[in-house]
Amino acid sequence: MLLGALAALAAGCGGAGGDARLTVFAAASLAEALPAFEPDATYQLGGSASLATQIREGAAADVFAAASVEHARALREEGLVEEPRVFATNRLAVIVPSVSELASVADLARPGVKLVVGAEGVPVGDYARAALAALGASDVLDNVVSEEDDVGGIVAKVVLGEADAGIVYVTNVAPAGAAVRVLELPPAAQPAIEYAVAVVTDSDSREAAEAFVDRLLGPEGRAALEAAGFGLP
Amino acid sequence: MSRRFDAVLVAACALALAFLALPLAAVFLRVSPVELFAQLGNPAAVDALLVSLKTSLIASGLVLCVGTPAAYLLATRRFRGRAVALTLIELPLVLPPAVAGIALLAAFGRRGLLGGTLDALGVSIPFTQAAVVLAVVLVASPFYLRAAIAAFESVDTGLLEASRTLGASPARTFRRVALPLAAPGLGAGATLAFARGLGEFGATIMFAGSLQGRTQTLPLMIYAQLDRDFDVALAVGALLVLVSLAVLLAVKLLPSWTRFTSISPSRSAPSTSL
Repeated sequence: MLLGALAALAAGCGGAGGDARLTVFAAASLAEALPAFEPDATYQLGGSASLATQIREGAAADVFAAASVEHARALREEGLVEEPRVFATNRLAVIVPSVSELASVADLARPGVKLVVGAEGVPVGDYARAALAALGASDVLDNVVSEEDDVGGIVAKVVLGEADAGIVYVTNVAPAGAAVRVLELPPAAQPAIEYAVAVVTDSDSREAAEAFVDRLLGPEGRAALEAAGFGLP
Repeated sequence: MSRRFDAVLVAACALALAFLALPLAAVFLRVSPVELFAQLGNPAAVDALLVSLKTSLIASGLVLCVGTPAAYLLATRRFRGRAVALTLIELPLVLPPAVAGIALLAAFGRRGLLGGTLDALGVSIPFTQAAVVLAVVLVASPFYLRAAIAAFESVDTGLLEASRTLGASPARTFRRVALPLAAPGLGAGATLAFARGLGEFGATIMFAGSLQGRTQTLPLMIYAQLDRDFDVALAVGALLVLVSLAVLLAVKLLPSWTRFTSISPSRSAPSTSL
């Protein structure tokens, strides 16, 4: 009987039923925008790379929305998702606690500044390194005290005031509220950040998944993404 | 009738063992010994192993030094608030690690309860190895304290009283009678706490962050590698399973070893104090 209950739980999670909600694996930076666009889907939010790993290991996803085209393209090459489509763009922002004395990006290189960035291989971390390299300020990386696995970890440590600064997406700034302030990154240092969405090949609800992607690329999706601070392709 | 009962016991035991062993076996089926030992040449894995061992050893030292006398008090004296103290000790066992991390930040973080005091002393704990040690102490110490209290409680009070009537001071009684008799239980508890500390993840990533060579322990490195190379994550995971297995096996072999070395001094202790 207990085993039966377990089997029922497993089936429920797999979303096998006909009227099952769509399961969307989405980059953590989409945590506000996507549920605002489509509240009736189940969202699994995390680092794009770890979501890709979960899909590789057979997680039951219908749609994959990644913070980099690269991660979606890699799954495409393995035949795990359909052709990815760019649906949003983003920019980087340096956030500091609102009470911080840091006034510009150049101050990040001051000795003793506690900087938190994404780890290498995590999109927000790779973009941050590219931006610092473009500024000729890679020595700022000596001040890194933690390399986080997703953007949520970076925001949390700055909001709590434990870190002096973090490099995140512009779209993370508004949800963090009054606890943080933004230091402007020169436009020339901004890397091209493109988000890609793809239908998962093994999805049990292909039609609903395709409809979701089409709507996301259409006027409704564009309005929701813009409201959340994303750029549009 | 009893044969059927035995069959039920055996079946339950086989099911439990199969369920517990299957995921671990699956890891080792996907990781060849060559890949596993190749990780010993991976600087990130070696750094993580060293950070893990160093912080767990320091944490174990702290837990032993403070926990042993504390457990002796809780085991041998009856006082008001003792039940509350015992419950407090067990609380971290059932606390979600994320809550432990938040609690550590609330206490020792820059804006935490003691943050201002620590700052005045020029000490900042988050993002340091000290933060890793504190996280490990918080989650691992209950394992030692529980085992140590049980070990001291099982020491025959008659022997402690005999030592006192024969003129040994309370401190000498603790050192020469209680400690040797409780040693096997203390050793088992310490090893279990050490093994739990090696696996600590949630409180560490919140309180200490993750930086290679400084605060990135083996579990943190495995989590970070999930994003980059699943095969490396699997191989380092297998490495951690082996280290933990070695520590736990040591617990099983320890009692026979400590009994051999500890009982002889405890037997001679009262006679020398005469």
